[in-house]
Amino acid sequence: MGVIRAEPARVTDWAAKSVGAAWRAFDLQLATYAGLLAAIGLVMAYTNSAENGAASIDAGTTFSRGLMWAGIAAIAFIIATAFDYRWLKTLSWPAYALQLGLLALTLAIGDGIGNSARWITIGPLTFQFSELAKILMIVVLADYLGRNHHKLDSLGTILGACLLVGPPLILVMIQPDLGTSMVFAAILAGMLWMSGASLKWLGLLSAAVVALVPLAWTYLLRDYQKERLTSFLNPTPDVSGPGYQLYQSQIAVGSGGWFGRGLTNGTQAQGDFLPVQTTDFVFSVLAEELGFIGAIVLFALFVLLLWRVLVAAWRCRDPFGTLFASGLAAMILFQLVINVGMVMGIMPITGIPLPFVTHGGASLVSLAIGLGILQSINIRQTRAEW
Amino acid sequence: VNTYLGGHPAPERRFSRYLVFGLAIVLGVGTLTARLFYLQITNGTEYSAISNRQRTVLEPIPAPRGLVYDRNGRLLVKNVPTFAVKVRPADLPNELRDGVVARLAALLGMDPAEINTTIDSNPGSAFDLVRVAQDVDRAKAQLISEAGYELPGVEVAVEARRQYTDGPLMSQLLGYTGPVSADQIADLRDDGYQPDDLIGQAGIERQYETELRGTYGSESVARDRTGRRTQVLQTVSQAVPGASLTLTIDTQAQRDAQKALKWAMGEIGMTRGVVIAMNPQTGEILAMVSLPTYDNNKFARGISAKDFQKLLKNKDKPLLNHAVQAHYAPGSTYKLVTGTGALADRDITESTRVLTKGYLTLGSTKFYEWNHRGWGPCDIYCGFGHSSDTFFYQLAGKLGIDRLAHWARQYGFGAPTGVDLPGEVAGIVPDNVWKQDVLGAKIFPGETYQAGIGQGYDAVTPLQLINAYAALANGGKLYQPQIVRDVVGPDGKVIRPFKPKLLHKLKVKASVLRTMRNAARNTVLLRHTYNLVDLPIKIAGKSGTAEFGRPDSQGRLPYSSFFIGFTPKDPRHGSFDDHDSQLVVMAFAYDSRTKGNAATEIVKYFFQLHYGIKKDYRLPDLLQRTNFYSND
Repeated sequence: MGVIRAEPARVTDWAAKSVGAAWRAFDLQLATYAGLLAAIGLVMAYTNSAENGAASIDAGTTFSRGLMWAGIAAIAFIIATAFDYRWLKTLSWPAYALQLGLLALTLAIGDGIGNSARWITIGPLTFQFSELAKILMIVVLADYLGRNHHKLDSLGTILGACLLVGPPLILVMIQPDLGTSMVFAAILAGMLWMSGASLKWLGLLSAAVVALVPLAWTYLLRDYQKERLTSFLNPTPDVSGPGYQLYQSQIAVGSGGWFGRGLTNGTQAQGDFLPVQTTDFVFSVLAEELGFIGAIVLFALFVLLLWRVLVAAWRCRDPFGTLFASGLAAMILFQLVINVGMVMGIMPITGIPLPFVTHGGASLVSLAIGLGILQSINIRQTRAEW
Repeated sequence: VNTYLGGHPAPERRFSRYLVFGLAIVLGVGTLTARLFYLQITNGTEYSAISNRQRTVLEPIPAPRGLVYDRNGRLLVKNVPTFAVKVRPADLPNELRDGVVARLAALLGMDPAEINTTIDSNPGSAFDLVRVAQDVDRAKAQLISEAGYELPGVEVAVEARRQYTDGPLMSQLLGYTGPVSADQIADLRDDGYQPDDLIGQAGIERQYETELRGTYGSESVARDRTGRRTQVLQTVSQAVPGASLTLTIDTQAQRDAQKALKWAMGEIGMTRGVVIAMNPQTGEILAMVSLPTYDNNKFARGISAKDFQKLLKNKDKPLLNHAVQAHYAPGSTYKLVTGTGALADRDITESTRVLTKGYLTLGSTKFYEWNHRGWGPCDIYCGFGHSSDTFFYQLAGKLGIDRLAHWARQYGFGAPTGVDLPGEVAGIVPDNVWKQDVLGAKIFPGETYQAGIGQGYDAVTPLQLINAYAALANGGKLYQPQIVRDVVGPDGKVIRPFKPKLLHKLKVKASVLRTMRNAARNTVLLRHTYNLVDLPIKIAGKSGTAEFGRPDSQGRLPYSSFFIGFTPKDPRHGSFDDHDSQLVVMAFAYDSRTKGNAATEIVKYFFQLHYGIKKDYRLPDLLQRTNFYSND
């Protein structure tokens, strides 16, 4: 294994850099893949709106809301790119406080289905702060692990990271949003792994988590959560049963074939057989209407995007940047596998959105901010000279 | 300057960690791709089939139900569009059910418990619609329809309701349609019946269900997850309207019959009666009235449980057509059987005289003449004309129970007539075999006497009785009575034209029946039936009084009365030597207990109305109750 030393960044240089130089460091590929994924999301929004019989441009349709959020996300991306990410290190603790504050606020005044509190309604818009909290978590962890990068073989550092993740994870779990809390755990795991933390302690920690699973199952999870988690094992056509959604989404995916039924021709979604077709189960609509080929294109875009994120991590000489990129990659990969796996019946049902494609402003804007920060990191590194 | 690294060397970049992360990506996305391939390509066909199947469904198109006319083309039953409120239980979430049902009950002005009972006793599955209210008025239907989002699982449907022009006048005949019951649907699913379907439940509606219903069409319908139809894709087969029926019933005759019966019931304070009019040459029923009756329009509108219970609990059983669905002791009218049998078996001739007296003794039992005196030596004209009991005791004794039963069956007793009305009962013709089967003993000689005058075990339906006299009037042909003349297809072509159905010819000489007709005429001539002879038309007939039930403290029994009369083809100048009668009428007055024979007065009144006789020959005095058991 080659070990390459990153040279310290020269902070004073960045202001002197020409705009052209900054643009050369800007990862155009990364932006393109992200843009294409967001475009696929808009196409799915369009097809869902068209199927519901509304003129898609009408205010209030999924598509028009999607367009608006895409615009906001683009602006957020540009601002985050222009913003010097190094300030985030300074702002790490306020970011942590903000994260906890937003989650607590959601619990206090948030709305949700039934008795849950998952999003906050501001005027006509709803915003799920837990999406933003994921990015803030990555920032906080990247700062913490970056500062302690020389002590990563100590158990204390690893436990410290776990302690940082604990409070927001618990706040999200109380909402209750099992899916997002699992994403927090995945971010932590991915970042610890990429930070180079001691394999010994990581192994021990994983063993401990595995051992805790039965306890959590018995004492922490509510009955409906258990039911949802296990229902993927037996999808049924019983409308009232928990396996119904899964049964219908598998039929939707399965009836797509090689090339799909064509946009807006999905019978499962059109017939309203698929509950929550625009949100967590959007992939089933995509698979039905665009077929195997369409889904493979989607997977390919995700793989390319993750590749660019990892390249950014590799190139970065600042441990913060490397760790931030790792956290982002872990989050996107985890959400992709869990969401699509859930739709196809090989993963438990949890409310995890498919990045870029699931219609939800918070998810898209948070991703845009995350990728913007990543671009900021890209721009503000002098490239390693080989 | 770089405080962040804190003087520590920059971290090592461990390629192995990147490699493992990359592998995780490959493994994750690879698994997803494999699963996707399995679902879309390997099993794609199967999933497509499921998807197509659940998206489109064949739904029945109800066929317009056939109409019903009387013999003169008067419309008796038609279809009117109405709104029905239905619930699909699968779409009504359990936690919302109480609220929705309460809301619905308030809108419909119903009891929530009633709605809940209807939903819970739904014969189909949770996905089948349940009709909770029918004949809902337009304003309410609109309100419910518009409140769709607050009333999940509730639908408003337009459906056809039966409207019976004359209501109670024809209820016993026409019957009504009602929701199919859980028991019925099990057998009828294959015939295209839906759990929320309507089906003929009584009368003609039930008897001619197959013809009236027509053939439901089917259409392929796109539907959403909840089964709600979103659009009609294709009409697979058109609905074929049901056939229409023309009845043998003459509405005017039916009205006259009801009027005559109601009059007598009012005079007497009697609660149950039957009037039937028939054409003896064809077996066509011109009028059939059974009182008390009910309003079948109430059933068509969806009768309330309370009203239905009231009908069920009425001791006079309004829902029964007493003309065919109940049997009674026939009394002296049964002497037709005994007389015909004795003549046919040559136990007597038309001139044989039999000594009638105050009573006959059999062992230690006295069998009394009804007037306790008798008329001395009597031939058949005298014996039948005076309705002498001792005359017919002796004839029955000569015939024996088994020959008597034989002749009863010749006249059609002891078996359903086969009339096209549901629920007909057979009556009882007692003989040795019957009594051995039912009571485990042979007939005693005294029971043969009783059987000879229509008492004891004898039981007949009013329709059997009039049909027997129709056979007498027409010269010995026993027809199957019919109530539907023609079955007419939706294109106006007659599918099944009317044809008299001969059951059998009585195995007697024409002269025997001529004798019995003239003996029946003698009943009128001898003023056994009071002033019936004074009417300007010729009537032959026979009255009867039949005891039933339990004796009172003084050993007296309540009794019902019968009369059957017929006229020659030319009612003014015709002769009973001929067998050309076109009209036979019977009346049955249950538990009449009147001074005179109530049934005779009813038939007399019917003839007056039917033949347009201006002068009123009715004798209301005869309708006074003797009230023997309540007043002493």
